[in-house]
Amino acid sequence: MLLIACPWCGERDEVEFHYGGQAHVAYPSDPEALSDAEWAQYLFVRDNPKGPFAERWSHAAGCRRWFNVVRHTVTHEILAVHPAGRPKPVIA
Amino acid sequence: MTVDGLRRSPLGDLPETLGHGVRLREIPFLTQLNLRLAPGGGAAARVAEVLGAALPTEPNTVTDSGDLRLLWLGPDEWLIVGPDGAAPDTEGRIRTALPGEHACLVDVSANRTTLELSGPGARTVLEKGCALDLHPRAFTPGRCAQTLVSKVNVVLDQLDAEPRYRLLVRGSFARYLADWLLDAMSDTALIG
Amino acid sequence: MSHELPEHPDWLWRTPDPKRAYDVVIVGAGGHGLATAYYLARDHGITDVAVLERGWLAGGNMARNTTIIRSNYLCDASAAIYEHALKLWETLPEELEYDFLFSQRGVLNLAHTLQDVREGIRRVHANRLGGIDAQWLDPDEVRAFCPIVNTSPEVRYPVLGATLQPRAGIAKHDHVAWALARKADAYGIDLIQGCEVTGFVRDGERVVGVETTRGRIGAGRVALAAAGHTSTLADLLGLRLPLQSHPLQALVSELLEPVHPTVVMSNHVHVYVSQAHKGELVMGAGIDSYNGYGQRGSFHQIEHQMAAALELFPIFARAHVLRTWGGIVDVTPDASPIIGSTPIENLYLNCGWGTGGFKATPASGRVYADTIATGTPHPLAAPFALERFTTGALIDEHGAAAVAH
Ligand SMILES: Cc1cc2nc3c(=O)[nH]c(=O)nc-3n(C[C@H](O)[C@H](O)[C@H](O)COP(=O)(O)OP(=O)(O)OC[C@H]3O[C@@H](n4cnc5c(N)ncnc54)[C@H](O)[C@@H]3O)c2cc1C
Ligand SMILES: [Zn+2]
Repeated sequence: MLLIACPWCGERDEVEFHYGGQAHVAYPSDPEALSDAEWAQYLFVRDNPKGPFAERWSHAAGCRRWFNVVRHTVTHEILAVHPAGRPKPVIA
Repeated sequence: MTVDGLRRSPLGDLPETLGHGVRLREIPFLTQLNLRLAPGGGAAARVAEVLGAALPTEPNTVTDSGDLRLLWLGPDEWLIVGPDGAAPDTEGRIRTALPGEHACLVDVSANRTTLELSGPGARTVLEKGCALDLHPRAFTPGRCAQTLVSKVNVVLDQLDAEPRYRLLVRGSFARYLADWLLDAMSDTALIG
Repeated sequence: MSHELPEHPDWLWRTPDPKRAYDVVIVGAGGHGLATAYYLARDHGITDVAVLERGWLAGGNMARNTTIIRSNYLCDASAAIYEHALKLWETLPEELEYDFLFSQRGVLNLAHTLQDVREGIRRVHANRLGGIDAQWLDPDEVRAFCPIVNTSPEVRYPVLGATLQPRAGIAKHDHVAWALARKADAYGIDLIQGCEVTGFVRDGERVVGVETTRGRIGAGRVALAAAGHTSTLADLLGLRLPLQSHPLQALVSELLEPVHPTVVMSNHVHVYVSQAHKGELVMGAGIDSYNGYGQRGSFHQIEHQMAAALELFPIFARAHVLRTWGGIVDVTPDASPIIGSTPIENLYLNCGWGTGGFKATPASGRVYADTIATGTPHPLAAPFALERFTTGALIDEHGAAAVAH
């Protein structure tokens, strides 16, 4: 069971949250210019690391704000929490 | 017939119920206004002026102004809760503070009904289905939270230290939540 | 249950040291890797093959799944490959000379909403047109087929009907793996446990071998069959795959008298239940929403699944959960597998089976072996090529039927 620290509400049980997958994936600035393969990469392919992963969560049953978390995908340790829009923190 | 005669609260048939040191009742038709605007700006200041109290900026806290409770829902979002019938006047007053502002005010009174759970055993009952730390060291009068109680989304507002809580719950979930609370209250092993 | 457990065979497989090179190196000794090895030998005479396994043989999802076997998928491409598997299952115990308790006790997919009913009836028609056994049961027929299901209208999500595939069922997963491994070994294929692939040896655009915890092993072709770990391996080659790895959990009760005659799946309340031969109830649910490699899932999934099970089967109210566990499943955007070649020469891919690849084991191995041996996609594998994410020809089984496992 994860305890996730919402940047606004503090630590809450994981059932209050909705998962949003990899963070910091920008919408292509000029989608028309992409090849089909590039578009497929954007649409369907996300990182799937065994280790720290920067991902989006929404505090769905709480303040309903999206934010970013760096979580270790093996230990589930939460290494950083940062508000949406900020750059990915550097994890040593 | 007035509109009032047609109103039905989701729990209209719920009798006030006393358990072991706990009381449950519905408070139907509370005024609820959802307000969104940038915190700390001119609009927030003018709203504070017309309401006579500042919109809370500390997450999950409440400020009081007469009949009204101003609940923090998010960094740019509040729920203004007042008595039945207060919506038109309150909305009108807030609107005078918003012209030209990037703000949004919606009457959501019909969205939720309110359950009031009070008495010395109230916290124990709530803790059976709520993962928050409700101990007075962490949750006191003046605190609110959006969370889950027995899987149901609620806005939880602690009014006093008795403790007395309000649970604002969507109409279609109200019956389930009331039944769940009544069941939780029926446990004679509740500490007082 | 009525079925005696078969005797454990006295001979299973050798424990060879890796040779310096093989014609084909298969990464992962789960069901799919082992089946691939077996069919490479049986169908193509390719026996200079090693199956490399980082842990122990069939200790991944093969040891962790709930063994549901069925072929009543909606999309033509899926129905075709799963039905091919079901036909293979029907003759495999004899062919492998190993009774792995394949039991065609039928699978019910319950409908609890109008949407479920429509989806189910549509799928029954689609299956019949495709030559797959399928029936629609009304609630009384559901009760007659599986008396312990609560078909009362009083529950929160009453049973409005069900699809039934009579030829579907379960098998004993460990025995399936051992049966395939024993035959592969008998063909001279090396099954090498405790041998983790940690890198690839490249010659330009070609893969020519693997680095392992037991040294470098040369390979004419490298065939990945590493389930939840596939994208981690592909990352080593700079190949990004449309895969996300999630924990998926299951659990068993203590051993009970035979009470449950079939397999019941309910996607809507989200639980599925069968009773294994020894007597334990085997139940599973959905994946954790977030990525994870921890081989354990979160507790609320178990809680949710138990609530669903009790609503459907009040008779289980006093059963105890004995054990829960998790596997790591590799999920694709359209919830269908990926089988075939890759942009990297001599590297083949068989992954993305997600929550439902056990049932496919023999077909997966067979079409993968054929694709590797001939260098061209087997017709049943062709629709599942990696390119579908670029062409847009998705096999949207999840969107179509939303039935897992
Ligand atoms: C709880 C649960 C319930 C399920 N229920 C069902 C069901 O009812 N019906 C159904 O059809 N399917 C079900 N599935 C899905 C099914 O188990 C999988 O789709 C299928 O087992 C995957 O193929 P596999 O057997 O080859 O995988 P695995 O057994 O996981 O094999 C992959 C192997 O690769 C090895 N490996 C990984 N990385 C490396 C490396 N670097 N070097 C060497 N070896 C490596 C792993 O150790 C592992 O042994 C379920 C899965 C789970 C987890
Ligand atoms: Zn929050």
